This record gives sequence, C-alpha cells and structure tokens, in this order.
Amino acid sequence: MTIDELWIRSLGELELQISRPNFLTWLKNSRLVDNKEGDAIVALPNHFAKEWVEAKYGKMILGILRTEDSSIKKISYIVDGNITKKKEPLKQDKEEKQLVFNEFKTDPESGLNPKYNLKTFVVGSSNELAYAAATATIDEIGSKYNPLFIYGGTGLGKTHLIQAIGNEIHKKHKGKHKVKYVSSEKFTNDVIWAIRNKRVEDIKNTYRNADILIIDDIQFIGGKEKTEEEFFHTFNALHENNKQIIISSDRPPRSIPILEERLKSRFEGGMIVDISFPDFETRAAIIKIKLQERKESLEDEIINLIANKVQRNIRELEGIINKIVFHSKHNSSFDISHAEKIMNEVIEQSSVNITPSQIIKAVAEFYEISTTELIGRGRKKEIVEPRQVAMYLLRDMLNMSYPFIAEKLGKRDHTTAIYAFDKISNNLNKDPSFNQKMTMVKELINKS
Amino acid sequence: MKITVLKNNLKNSLDAVSRIVGENNNLPILKNVLIKSESGKINISSTDLETAIIKKVAGKSVEDGQITVPFSIFNNVINNIQSERIDLEAKKNNILIKTDSYEAKIQGMDSEDFPIIPKIEEKNEFFEIKGENLKDGIVSVMSAAQISELRPEISGVLIDIDGENIKFVATDSFRLAEKTLYGSEFTNNFERGFKIIIPLRPAQELVRVIDDKENVRIYSDGSQFMAETDDTILVTRLIDGNFPDYTQIIPKNISTDIEVSRSELMGALKLVSSFSSKNNEVIFKIIPDKKMIEVYSADSSLGENKYLIPAKISGEGVNVSFNWRFVSDGLKNIDSETVNIGLQGDVKPSVIKWPQDNSYIYIVMPIKD
Repeated sequence: MTIDELWIRSLGELELQISRPNFLTWLKNSRLVDNKEGDAIVALPNHFAKEWVEAKYGKMILGILRTEDSSIKKISYIVDGNITKKKEPLKQDKEEKQLVFNEFKTDPESGLNPKYNLKTFVVGSSNELAYAAATATIDEIGSKYNPLFIYGGTGLGKTHLIQAIGNEIHKKHKGKHKVKYVSSEKFTNDVIWAIRNKRVEDIKNTYRNADILIIDDIQFIGGKEKTEEEFFHTFNALHENNKQIIISSDRPPRSIPILEERLKSRFEGGMIVDISFPDFETRAAIIKIKLQERKESLEDEIINLIANKVQRNIRELEGIINKIVFHSKHNSSFDISHAEKIMNEVIEQSSVNITPSQIIKAVAEFYEISTTELIGRGRKKEIVEPRQVAMYLLRDMLNMSYPFIAEKLGKRDHTTAIYAFDKISNNLNKDPSFNQKMTMVKELINKS
Repeated sequence: MKITVLKNNLKNSLDAVSRIVGENNNLPILKNVLIKSESGKINISSTDLETAIIKKVAGKSVEDGQITVPFSIFNNVINNIQSERIDLEAKKNNILIKTDSYEAKIQGMDSEDFPIIPKIEEKNEFFEIKGENLKDGIVSVMSAAQISELRPEISGVLIDIDGENIKFVATDSFRLAEKTLYGSEFTNNFERGFKIIIPLRPAQELVRVIDDKENVRIYSDGSQFMAETDDTILVTRLIDGNFPDYTQIIPKNISTDIEVSRSELMGALKLVSSFSSKNNEVIFKIIPDKKMIEVYSADSSLGENKYLIPAKISGEGVNVSFNWRFVSDGLKNIDSETVNIGLQGDVKPSVIKWPQDNSYIYIVMPIKD
C-alpha cells in the first residue's frame, strides 16, 4: 500500500467519525507526505488546520492509521501552502493599451519567461546540434547530456533556447520537475544578498532543490570568488543527484579567462554545443517568424534584403524589423528603397561612434598584448595575427583606406593591409572558431 | 464566564475584530466571535481561517470562562444599548446581556468548536516599530496592490528587512510603490534579513486596528506573521511565493526630469480627467522650451480639455499617456510642495518621488498610443 492509498483509506474512516463541515474545512486538503520508521508526517494547508487537527483529531488519526499500518508510532504535522492547487493562469488575449511591467511576466518560481518556446526557435545548420541536444535533454532529463553547455555570440538565440528547454520541460512533465532559470547576474546578486543578510543557507536551499538549473551567461561569474564557490558547490550537489544543469555562455568554457579551473573541467564533462551565425535561409525564416509573432507581413523582396544585410545579430534584426514595419504602416508608398534607407541608417548608427583607436585598443586587450606592440613593427607570430585582425576590422567596420590603415599600424605598405584583409576574410569563411573570436572582439569594441 | 464592561470599550473591541468575521458555509462558527475571560483579562477574537485578530477589552472579570456568539446580532445589540455599563454572563451556550433596563439572551456556540488561533511561540526574534511608522509604510504602498487569483505573489505587501532598512513594496504589475523606513525608525533583533509577503486584506486590517502611538512588535516564522501590541494581536498566513524581482524595473536612464507643484498637478488631473474616456487616459505633453507641462484629455463624444502647468524640466520633450488614477495614487503619498517625475520616453516606466528623497518611489507604466 502506498502512502497515498493509506491516507485515502484513513480519510474514509475519518469522514465517518467527524461531522461533514469539520471534515471539509480541516481535512479536505490534507496529505500524508512521509511514513518512515513509524513516524508519519501529515501536511495540512494552513496553520489553523494544523492547530485544530493536532489538538482535536490527533488521537483519532493515530488510532486509524495504526489499524491500517501498525508500525506507525507517532504523527507529526506540517504546513504546506502548496497543497491547495493553484489555478492555472488564464490566457489573456485581450489587447490592453495599459502597458505592464514586462519583467513581471516571468514566472517568479522558475524565472522563466513563457514567451520563449521551441516552436518559435528557427533551426538551421548553425544551431542544429544545439537544438538536437536541447530536445534530447528535454526527453532524458539529467541523464543524457549533463551539464549541457551552450555557447555562441550575442543575439543568436542562446537565451531563447535554454529558456525554451525550461518551458518545454515544464509543459511536458506538467510541473513535476522544479525548473530554476537564473542569469548569472541574478545569481551573483542572490549570493551577495545572502552574505549580507547571513542567509547563505536559503540560497543553498533554493538552488539545490531545483531539478533543472539553468544558468544564463555564466562567463560573468568569472572572477567573483564567492559566487564561483557557491556555484561550484551547487553544481556538484545537483550533478551528484542527477539533476539537469544547463549553462549558456558567449564562449566555450576553456576560453572564459578568469573562471576557476575546477569549474571549467566540470563544464567540459557534459555536452558542449555551439550556436554560430545563421545562414541566409535561416535568417529569412527568422524574419518571417518574427513578423508572424507581430501579425505583420512584408514583401519577400524586403525580407531578403534584411536577411542579406544583417548577418551577425538576431537582436539587431528584430530592431530593424520593428522599424521597417512601423514605417511601412505609416507610409502607403513604402517600398524597397525606403527599407534600404532605414537599414543603412540603423547600421550606420551602430558604428557611428567607433574610432580607430577604439578598435586598436580592443584588439590589443583581447589578445592581451600592448597597443604599442600592436602598432609597432615586430613580426612575432603572436603579434601578426592581432595586427591583421585590427587591419581587417578597420577596413570592415570603418571603411578606411588601405594606405591609411597601413600607416596607422606600423607604417607599412598598403599591400600589407590588403593582404591582411583578404587573409582574415578567408579565415572567417573557413574557420568557425575564428568567427567566434571575431565576434568577441567586436563586442569588446562596441562595449568600449 | 461573568464580566462587566463599559459599552464603548466593548464596542471598540468589536469594531476591531469585525472585518474578518468569516463567511464560511462549511463552518458556521466562523460567523461568531470568541469572548474569553482568562485570569482576569478579557479578549475578543475573530478569524476567517486566514487571519485572526485578538483584541483586549478593558473591563472587570468576575468569573473566568469563554463563549462564542454570532457577531452580527451581538454587535447590533451592543451598538444600540443606551446605558454605559453592561454585564455579560455565559450560561451553557447562551450569553446573557444585562443593563439596568435591558436584558437579552443570545444563543451562542460551544467555544470548544472555535478554531484554535495559531500563534508564533518563538518570540526571541522580532522587530519593534511605532504604530504610525508601520502604518505609514503599509499605507504608502497599499493602493498599488491588487488581489489577483492568477498572481498570488503580488496580492499583498512585501516587507523586506535587510538589517538596516525595512522596505514595503506593492504592485499590480501596472505600477509599483516602494517605501523605505530607515534604521532609526525601528529596532530590529532579527539575526538575519528576510522577505515576507502579507496578504492585502490583513495588511489593511493591520492599518485599521493599530493605534499610531502604540509600539508594535512583528514576529514571523517564515510561514506566518504576527503583529502584537499591548492590547491587540493580529496573526495571518504569509503568501507563499516569490515577489517579482522589482529592482530591475526601477528607472535608471531618466530622459526627462520634471519638478512640479504637487497640488497643482493633482488639481489638473482631477479637472482634466473629466474628459478622459473609460480607460482614464490623460496625456502629458512635456514642453521643455516653454517650461510647461500640458495635461490633456479628450473623448470623441464629450470634447476635449487641456491644462498648462509651469514646471522645471530638464531633458527631452515627450508626449506620454497615463491612467490618471495611477498617477494620482502615487501623488497622494507624497507630502511635499513639489514632486519629482522622471520619464523614460513614452513606453517605459516612469517614476514619481519626493524631490531629493528616495524613501518613497512610485513607478508607473504609460498607456500605449
């Protein structure tokens, strides 16, 4: 007999012995949660019920339970507010003009935003593997790929994918698994809060009770010692118990510079997949899905144009779609030339503030060499590649002339700059990991 | 049980417990209040199985004992009795009410059937606060809360204690109010900080039953909340859930900063809103060049009107629509000549606060055009 059966039989007996109103009020939402070594634990929905049942029916319940299972020696009562079923939120389709705090749409228990699901995740050659790993993880939680480590540049759908995993698990297993999604920034804040308020135990409990822990942008915890340590222990505790861990980052574990070695090696113990830049077809598909979400449409011509121009960042893509949709609504004679104009504006805007020295500094920082070395005349291997990257970027992002670039980087001949540009373009096409590097450098530039 | 009380004392205590006398069809005894005399002290209690209030009655106890009486009939009798002095006596399950010229017998119910009120026994950790400060904290944010079955975690008032400050926070996801009380306004001996969410109704009751001058001690064991003064105890369950991480919605990049007379803005809202349609929409046109805010509202079947208010404005001009009631709720809790309004364009949250003071912030979302 399972404990649920035991409790149902006991309730049937109790129902005969106490009045119906009393039974409904105090015992309807009760549950037997545990029965170990003669110590039965009964959960009740609130403190009033606990006080009442304990005082008035304690002996009766013990008697009844003992006739069913004589090993029971005593009963303890606990309060569990979750027994009374929460109602499923109704879908609110009604379009309200009053805006709400968007951040509040996320589920406070799991931290997941319900807008992310696998249906709207466009799969192409660039993210096939990641998608396959994600679906496998949903089917076999905790056993197949653990931890699942997903990396890729900004705006390529990491957050979408890992949140979608959480949402799908929630949907598929009807909330049986406790999913916890957290950005590493939130995790850090929690740890700081806990330390300040002497409540580290609480943090341990919230995170270690999760069945699926999803951490976004793990690279940001690098160098925060206490947070790393807390995460390390959480990771171990969960991993030992076969709980699923899903991590995202903008680069593979090896390349997160200030992350502790023991964490890196643990991340590598599972499945590492990358999401790279989507190809043209995937981009076009993404645009169509985004339009569908907004219940808008655009001519294929314009869609192709956008897919062609915006190659590296889906978020940027969304911004442009918003803008074009807005203009096409307010301008009846809207056509492709308008779209082109808008796009050029947006793309120019994003590069308008970048200066050559910013690029040089960022490249030097990324490769951990000094700017003097970078613009000097040294020809060591460690310096040649960065220098070529800098040349490429000066040309690619700022459209500077080759002679000027060559002059800036060590008073060279302009053919050197041309050679560098060609070589790097070539590399970019062939080598995905090099592509990755380049994105990171570009992010550094945009940040500075 | 046999007690003698003054009419007004009894009436005050009955008022205090009145609002949570339950309406529960399963358990009729919740419509009753418990009158109890124990070692000379007289108490009246009521509960709806979520919250309970126990209120002391000043009076003389002749004989200890307890009984429950239906609240409505008892309250009616006590309210209409003319004489000052009232004798109450329990005889079996009946209560006898006697004055010099009046006598009544009300059928009660066995006090053994009245729910046992769960109290927090662990009383080492608590914080103590002046009644008026506690009420100020709750009242400042209460209007922003809303009871919602879908979102239980925001159907209450968050109390967040971090050792140095107490924050009271409430939101209905359209606006959010936060009030901070600083260390000097309370004493705290909780070893650790904590966050609890008190359901809105008991929070409102707390404001009603606590006196400004009283000191209130607050206890919590993580699932229950208890506020205790010398003659009142309020116990309630806490909302089980996580309050949304609201710090991320506090505006950080204010693009338009306005300082404006509070009374003038309040007046303008009241007047202009006469023309606002069903959704209470009024438009704020911020005109930095003229140092003016134009408050405008129109309804296609009524007409339109606008009101110009001089203001100190820095930053960009913008037109932004609000539900005027939301704005006015925020202004009500500010008690100064001028208020500070920070906008972040027309679709992002705006903030209302006292000038040079962060102890109260009120964040409100605009209405989309």
